Amino acid sequence: MSTVTCEVAVIGAGIIGTATAHYLSARGVDVVVIDRSYMGSGSTGRCIGGLRHQFSTPPSIRLMKESIRLFSEMEEEFGHSVEFSQGGYLLLAHSDEMAATFRANIRVQRAEGINVSLLDPKEAHDLVPQLNTEGLVAGAWCPDDGQAFPFAVLKGYRKRTENAGGRFILHNPVVNFRRNANFELFLGDGSIVEAPRVLLAAGPWTRELAKPLGIDLPLAPERHEAMITERMPRFLKPMLVDYRPDGCYFQQMLTGQVIGCYTPVPAVPGIREDVSFEFLPQVAWRMSRLVPALRNAAILRHWAGCYTMTPDGNPVLDRTPLDGLFVASGMCGHGFMFGPAMGHHMADFILDGEWGMDFSEFALDRDFSPGAETLK
Amino acid sequence: MNERVVICRCEDITEEEVLDAIRDGAISMEELKRVLRVGMGPCQGRTCGSLIRALLARELGVPVHSIKEWSRRPPLKPVPAGAFFQGEES
Repeated sequence: MSTVTCEVAVIGAGIIGTATAHYLSARGVDVVVIDRSYMGSGSTGRCIGGLRHQFSTPPSIRLMKESIRLFSEMEEEFGHSVEFSQGGYLLLAHSDEMAATFRANIRVQRAEGINVSLLDPKEAHDLVPQLNTEGLVAGAWCPDDGQAFPFAVLKGYRKRTENAGGRFILHNPVVNFRRNANFELFLGDGSIVEAPRVLLAAGPWTRELAKPLGIDLPLAPERHEAMITERMPRFLKPMLVDYRPDGCYFQQMLTGQVIGCYTPVPAVPGIREDVSFEFLPQVAWRMSRLVPALRNAAILRHWAGCYTMTPDGNPVLDRTPLDGLFVASGMCGHGFMFGPAMGHHMADFILDGEWGMDFSEFALDRDFSPGAETLK
Repeated sequence: MNERVVICRCEDITEEEVLDAIRDGAISMEELKRVLRVGMGPCQGRTCGSLIRALLARELGVPVHSIKEWSRRPPLKPVPAGAFFQGEES
């Protein structure tokens, strides 16, 4: 039985795990990334790739400012395109209450230096001529938000990590987990990975991984579905987010496909990647209500993935009570966009023991009562 | 390989790109599709699926039937969004 030793073992080869591994290896740390399947096989590879500054609280906004800068530098850093573009995000409020939330958020975002403005329905229509503005009260517009292609990002992080001496063990699940002098991770093929420090970055599977160590993390996976259309000539620049209870969100990718989702009410709990019958009729209707021309767009595929939710809608990014064990999960649907900056800060935290910025909103011992993040 | 052999016509992906991805460590149809978008176009893999499966089997040195096919995703064929709700509008 073979044993691999390293300084930090990262469980989960999604965006959080690979970004953290990259920044660890860049600091000369011997890192091993382990995944039960291929890179991005969990939530990262099932997401629709949106990136936005428009969050409600300074830590998330600062994190996203850094992340979007990092996304913009990737093509040069990796030597291949990550299909990064900044077409903006246009958030849409169809009630005075939601418009007031936008206004409050915009004050916070502007104080953080984000270029964001409140649009009236006419301005929103000027920006997106295909938009049906019936019932629209206001829009929140940030032209610097955008998109990227998750697999191209993961590929880049892997390349950079391996060039710095890091290793990837894929298609090999962690089946047991024990703490002696070091952590011992028992893998599916019978091999063992031994490390003094371990990062749990396994998205929806993180909670189950920590249980054998007596740690119960406040993480609750939910199913989210998505669909994609055929490629079409570019006609829609921003991501549109309709915040009505029966709203949806979608954008056109650089490659022409329209990709979109909606948040199911009530939530569908559990680690589930099956799809529902109601999703396609619903998403087709909701998208076409907002952009009527989309009724002619041919839908190609429909799939599902998990959001790993926390009670207050913020991630969990911290050390655990067990010395040497760290967690980065509970991204609540924002893991891909948070990933680059989060990986950077997580790597520094693992090595230095302190955060480069105020992450108390993401701490494991915080008050988890719902409230802070208003933009799901 | 001197010729540019297109293996997935919808997404314009060549045999060489598929071989590269396999050399990079891909061992399943799922990851080829995710990384390269092969089989993700209008034909949904009906044209390239069996070719890529045979290629993967050959490169891995395993029988074709041991390679799991792509997951089938609704709606299977391109369907205009409007077709999902026409007649239900009030």
